[in-house]
Amino acid sequence: MATPEAVAEKRELAGINADYKEKFGFHDPETGYAYKAPKGLSREVVESISEYKDEPRWMRDFRLKALEHFESRPTPTWGGNLGQIDFEDIHYFVRASEKNSRDWDEVPEDIKNTFDRLGIPEAERKFLSGVGAQYESEVVYHQVNEKLEAQGVIFTDMDTALREHEDLVREYWATIIPPNDNKLAALNSAVWSGGSFVYVPAGVKVEMPLQAYFRINTENMGQFERTLIIAEEGSDVHYIEGCTAPVYSTDSLHSAVVEIMAKPSARVRYTTVQNWSQNVYNLVTKRAVAQEKATMEWVDCNLGSKLTMKYPSIYLLGQEAHGEILSIAFAGEGQHQDAGGKIIHAAPRTSSSIFSKSISKDGGRATYRGLLEVADGATESRSKVVCDALLLDEDSRSDTYPTIRIGENDADVGHEATVSKIGDEQVFYLQSHGLDEEEASKMIVNGFIEPVTKELPMEYAVELNRLIELQMEGSIG
Amino acid sequence: MRLVEHDGVKIGVFNCDGTLYAIEDRCSHDDGPLAEGEFDGSTCTVECPRHGSLFDLTTGRPKTLPAYAPVRTFTTAVVDDTIVLEV
Repeated sequence: MATPEAVAEKRELAGINADYKEKFGFHDPETGYAYKAPKGLSREVVESISEYKDEPRWMRDFRLKALEHFESRPTPTWGGNLGQIDFEDIHYFVRASEKNSRDWDEVPEDIKNTFDRLGIPEAERKFLSGVGAQYESEVVYHQVNEKLEAQGVIFTDMDTALREHEDLVREYWATIIPPNDNKLAALNSAVWSGGSFVYVPAGVKVEMPLQAYFRINTENMGQFERTLIIAEEGSDVHYIEGCTAPVYSTDSLHSAVVEIMAKPSARVRYTTVQNWSQNVYNLVTKRAVAQEKATMEWVDCNLGSKLTMKYPSIYLLGQEAHGEILSIAFAGEGQHQDAGGKIIHAAPRTSSSIFSKSISKDGGRATYRGLLEVADGATESRSKVVCDALLLDEDSRSDTYPTIRIGENDADVGHEATVSKIGDEQVFYLQSHGLDEEEASKMIVNGFIEPVTKELPMEYAVELNRLIELQMEGSIG
Repeated sequence: MRLVEHDGVKIGVFNCDGTLYAIEDRCSHDDGPLAEGEFDGSTCTVECPRHGSLFDLTTGRPKTLPAYAPVRTFTTAVVDDTIVLEV
């Protein structure tokens, strides 16, 4: 029989679970919005976005060509079920505020309150070098540490970057992910809006992370931010993104493109804590280039969304370049996390690792899908791929689709995969030390994901653990 | 662009402002056909119709991902009004 403490704890946990809607899932009234495009995708919609942003001709042409690619490509039938997305039932561009401020006080009240509730201004004060906050289609707040600015670091939203640093943007734009790469990249290229532009000059080390926070508020919204990070020789930067959305009964779509160029000996870490509400399709293309002796790291945590299809990739194009992908996926009821990573060794003495951890519960489905390729000529390359899946109950599902292609005889490649269930013995053992069943289960899960959380800045590790706890409610039944 | 075949190898021949370039009709990314992609004479590039990699016809090197390896190129010459490729 449950003790009063256990009952109280259960109630508390039930309270935690109920608060996605309150903490993240709330929505603001759409009063005072500057512009909301009608639903649906057409040449006119794409042209109006470009016109509204007063873009140069080449960008307008780029968008229209991308739209043709999008329309001519079939919807992918692999991965998750994309058949239910109605591309005509989506608002492709919503401008909530007329301006992008550098002062929180200038941000419209409702929007500012939202970011206050999400803790963004507080995080900025405490441990960030710069913050960008995107609300609907555009960035409403952007600020970067003055000292970094004086060193030549650029951290701004992509729309502003296109206006103020057009040549730099154009030099790298879509060179890592061309619009015709895949159907969703084509869609993003046609209707992109917002996202971050980061430029770190040679030798500059950005000590505290830069962060962007993405928020969808409108129902049936499509958010299509575009991020480009250029880390010059010997530079160092850590970029973090987080995202949440209101809980609606109809679906929204998030389809970003993220391109990263790590020049020789540069180091870039890109951390994502994805916590979209469970009515969001999250279909993202992320790709990075690591030149000679550069290090690229993706830390990718997928907790929310209805369906996520995301495989951050790294092209190790220079000798001795190094790539790491740490991926964690949590699939609860009604969720499918189709995640993983790709690493291509295209130069000698390159090294990499992929660590993937997934947890499925309440009928959720987690998929690891990955590619490791050692190209001809990438001699003396080393890589290790580890995929671990944890199933919390009989109804949940885990699949692993690893692909490994080796073109050199002297490559040193290892692959390990495990699927496990939380064992009754483990829970019993912890219970015998005074923990209740829920606590025991949470402790096992936290231990399972610890290799990923230890790589996160402390504030995010705490947040991630809290989110996992929130998702874990009711997992022992 | 003219597509020709020699010994089972398909080759695309391009005219960039009067200079002729020839590349194998096979994208280094996934071996798909390349030469019939969008050709830009002013930059002397061709875009792979399958995944969008842009190739420099003068060198065969990709200027954008997802391809990272060069495609095979062939030396061209005009002899008595006939284009000759060195294979």
